Amino acid sequence: MVDDQRGRLPEVDRRRFLQGLLGTGVAAALASYEVFAVEPAAVAAQDPPAAPTGPMTALSSDTVQVDVLERMRVELLAAMARPVADRRWVMVIDLRKCVGCHACTIACVAENKLPPGVVYRPVIEEEFGTYPNVGRRFIPRPCMQCDNPPCVPVCPVNATFKNEDGVVVVDYPQCIGCRACLTACPYSARTADFNHVYTAGTPVAQDGIVGQDTAGRYELLPMFEYQEARPREHGESPVGNARKCHFCLHRIKAGELPACVTTCIGRATLFGDANDPGSLVAQMIALPSVFRLKEELGTDPRVFYIS
Amino acid sequence: MTRTIKRVLYVLAVVAVVLGIYGFGSRLLFGERDVNYGSYVNWGLWVAMYLFFAGLAAGSFMVATLDYLFEIPLFKGTGKWALWATVVTLPAALVLIGFDLGHMERIWKVYLQPNFSSLLAQLVWSYTTFLVVALATLGRVMFGRLRWLKPVMVLGLAIAIFVSGGVGALLGVNAARVSFQNAMLPAQFPVLNLASGIALLLVMIGFFGVVADAERRTRLMRVLSLAMVVLLAVKAYFLWVDYSQALYSQTLEATAVAEQVLFGPYWWAFWILQLGLGVVVPAIVLVMPSTSRRGPLAGLMGVFVLVGLAVGRTSIIFPALAFPEFEGLVEAFTGPHLGLDYTPSLMEWSVTVGVLGMATLAYLVGMDRLPLFKPRTEVAA
Repeated sequence: MVDDQRGRLPEVDRRRFLQGLLGTGVAAALASYEVFAVEPAAVAAQDPPAAPTGPMTALSSDTVQVDVLERMRVELLAAMARPVADRRWVMVIDLRKCVGCHACTIACVAENKLPPGVVYRPVIEEEFGTYPNVGRRFIPRPCMQCDNPPCVPVCPVNATFKNEDGVVVVDYPQCIGCRACLTACPYSARTADFNHVYTAGTPVAQDGIVGQDTAGRYELLPMFEYQEARPREHGESPVGNARKCHFCLHRIKAGELPACVTTCIGRATLFGDANDPGSLVAQMIALPSVFRLKEELGTDPRVFYIS
Repeated sequence: MTRTIKRVLYVLAVVAVVLGIYGFGSRLLFGERDVNYGSYVNWGLWVAMYLFFAGLAAGSFMVATLDYLFEIPLFKGTGKWALWATVVTLPAALVLIGFDLGHMERIWKVYLQPNFSSLLAQLVWSYTTFLVVALATLGRVMFGRLRWLKPVMVLGLAIAIFVSGGVGALLGVNAARVSFQNAMLPAQFPVLNLASGIALLLVMIGFFGVVADAERRTRLMRVLSLAMVVLLAVKAYFLWVDYSQALYSQTLEATAVAEQVLFGPYWWAFWILQLGLGVVVPAIVLVMPSTSRRGPLAGLMGVFVLVGLAVGRTSIIFPALAFPEFEGLVEAFTGPHLGLDYTPSLMEWSVTVGVLGMATLAYLVGMDRLPLFKPRTEVAA
């Protein structure tokens, strides 16, 4: 009898609980509606668009919210039409909006077919404060594409350099794999490819969608970094090379934004030409709360953070 | 005694080469997949031992100049032993650093498409020139063609000092690494390399005689022992300077790296091997006239000093790289070769032991077969 009662809430308590829950939910919904109702313009500039309720033609132009992604894509196309010397690609990461979902990390892995142990854009999670005043912060860390990159002069064979787009690139067939650039980079933005595959040691599932037979074949298919098809083969680049984020140059050349930008659910990662004064990134890097990592080293990074 | 030591060394060298077969095979067949260094601790045992062997080569050449360049009578007859050590240990260093490359087959690019602003490129060119100079010097000595010997030795000495300092600078230029970025490193390395060259000569004289005249040999061992003690005192001072400054500075990275070396999981490597075995014990033994004249004991002290210097190279490389450039980076994305805890893998040890075995074997075979050593070896034996 005692045991039976211990495991169940009294009926009246459950009802009260559900009523309370409903009340709280309604209050929260009203509160959030109020926020949107008070400052619609501010939200429209930064948040994803609301789902359309009718045909696009039925909406007037001032009710359609333009996703920042679309704005950045248009700006990207405009920038690509200008001479390369007039462009200055920068990335802006708004830490207030990053929710730590790691979608950018995964998108980068998928886009560049990164093997185990190679990462271009990890998201560092930071906890600070003392209970009960604690907070969390998520810091995505792509390559900073420094204008004064310490990794470049240490390369014994000029395999890494800033290309005409101002992006620090790696010439895979030229790289001897000495990893001096890994030591020189103050951001640990380079990782070496040690010839691992995800499917090593996994079960063989013939004709299945997983396992070595199918997934293993996928791993060996070419990747397209720097617009060159490179199948994964032992002893062939990029195996044995230093690897790094390149702002998805192959996508930019095709008029597309970097993979990490398009997959950011909070629109925390922005990309564009800082030389275009009307661009979103040019506006963002003029904010007073903007900063760059380890600026004291004089590396002059092209990745800006907003806190 | 000499013959027994040589036999033992032959056996040990052959065993070491056999143990190295696994490592060589793994490295050549599967690349760097089975190493434990990675993208954060990106240089491991092979780089540390490259520093050690390259230092030994440079230091041995410095010692050879005492005979062939400065013509100090006491050192007469020791130059060829030191030169042969240079010729044997330099390839050992280059094999190790070659194995550390992700694409060792592309090493030719450093010669044909170099970036001379890179210290690595400068070192590759310098080591190659150094090897040629050392071989040329050895050839001239071996065949008795002593004309132009001194200018060649001057060139070799200059390169030996340059490559010694250059290795320090290779680390020191990295502003990203507080523990490396230290103007002391390029200043320290030539001194430490000279110490390794003298230690190796002490091993040679202690184990193999080298100088036929017993009285001169005794005096030579005493001089070498005292020189060794002075250099060990300098090394101890360097260690004090490095770690006391790091600890006093209270800067996050410098302090953490120093604490890692002194009190981390490998504290014994510093206190027992590098300081105890590598400095204190040999300094005590060699400073006393009675013990420093005992050949095998003095030779053993030379081995201890070399072990201490080799461990010292690991203390410079590993802890500095194991300090994360961002807190939380290692946890942000996990995978093979993305850790900060570094212990050399079996394959890395296998290659290192194999290279050590090959260098020892080459040295012994040279002692027995090269015409350079024949007459005096017989007398010494």
